[in-house]
Amino acid sequence: MARINEERHYDDIVKHNNNNNNNSNRNFNNTSSTGDFLSQLDQSLSYSIEKDVDYGYGKVDAIWHISFHPSLPSSKFGFVKIQSQERGGKGTDQDWKDNQYSLRKIEEAIGRGIRSGCDKVFLVADNEEMAKSISGRIEWLSSFGSIIRFDAVSTGVSPNQQKPSTITPSQERLPEGEKIRKEDMREREQKFDKYNRPQGERAEQESNEKKLEREIQLDENSRPIGQKK
Amino acid sequence: MNQNMDSSYRRERPQEIRQIIETLKAPIIQLGKKIGVEIIEDYDQGAGPIDVLWTFKPGSEALPDIRMGFVCIPIITTAEEDYSEFTINEIIIKSMMNIVDKLVIVVPAENMAKRIIDSIESMPNSSFLQLRKYVTVLTPSTLVPKTDVLRSRERKEEGEMIE
Repeated sequence: MARINEERHYDDIVKHNNNNNNNSNRNFNNTSSTGDFLSQLDQSLSYSIEKDVDYGYGKVDAIWHISFHPSLPSSKFGFVKIQSQERGGKGTDQDWKDNQYSLRKIEEAIGRGIRSGCDKVFLVADNEEMAKSISGRIEWLSSFGSIIRFDAVSTGVSPNQQKPSTITPSQERLPEGEKIRKEDMREREQKFDKYNRPQGERAEQESNEKKLEREIQLDENSRPIGQKK
Repeated sequence: MNQNMDSSYRRERPQEIRQIIETLKAPIIQLGKKIGVEIIEDYDQGAGPIDVLWTFKPGSEALPDIRMGFVCIPIITTAEEDYSEFTINEIIIKSMMNIVDKLVIVVPAENMAKRIIDSIESMPNSSFLQLRKYVTVLTPSTLVPKTDVLRSRERKEEGEMIE
């Protein structure tokens, strides 16, 4: 296996710069293949793309070197395509049937990216469902208290994806739902309070006129349909 | 412990490989029993099995348990050597996800151990993950205490003191 020095001069780097702003619209819908997807990035950023990199730890399909600011070190985003068939022909096509990749493939791909010096590793799946499955598995495994929170480093992506593949935790989803339910409950209680007999202090404060009016209304409305005036 | 095992790990290993793994595991278990650590075979928190796990308390109840994981790589043919990087990547991430504090990779031959050590030590310095202190690569013979060698060294030191 040919080991490539990390500090080599990249012959195959595709350079992009700020002058290419005309093509800045990222349209992943039109992306026909994973290769095209890996070559796309917001053109407003200064970056370079390295393809099919192998530092001796396995092939990384693309590495984006992104410079956010001249005074900051550039970030390396690695993209590893996960395939149904394992290298060496050990795997089966089970992944396609289950619509989720096996753990060992996910672990291997993360390891490959991290060992190649990438700051973030994106695992490229064939469709959004598989990308979500990858992200979910990484999050689940990291939640046990792993030495490294791999979900902070790695996530699943797919070429046609429009939304992040990370699943919103229930803790973030629930409070809003809770609020809506509580508002409904308060409205319902206010209605009850308006028409029902008041309890406790409110009963003592109620005027005789209002009490009489309410009792008449209650008497009328609580009668069976046929006996109503 | 193995109930979360992924289907890819549930695949049956061939008899020959299983035998090699058992041979590699035997001195680890033996040594663990000798030094009095808790031993768990096929330890799995959901990320895949770790062949042997040593758990021990570092002297105080206030300190956390230390988990040392041993993963055996039964390389028997030259064809499989081509996939060693694939295997190593997987083993490292698997052990981290299983909350193993230190990983020991056990291989049958010295030349294989050297290859893996070289691979780990050649990792780029810019990487946020430095595996040199996390991973140790051994052969079963390295685990067996070389009592004769130690004795000769001790004898030499004693002799030097007498002189």
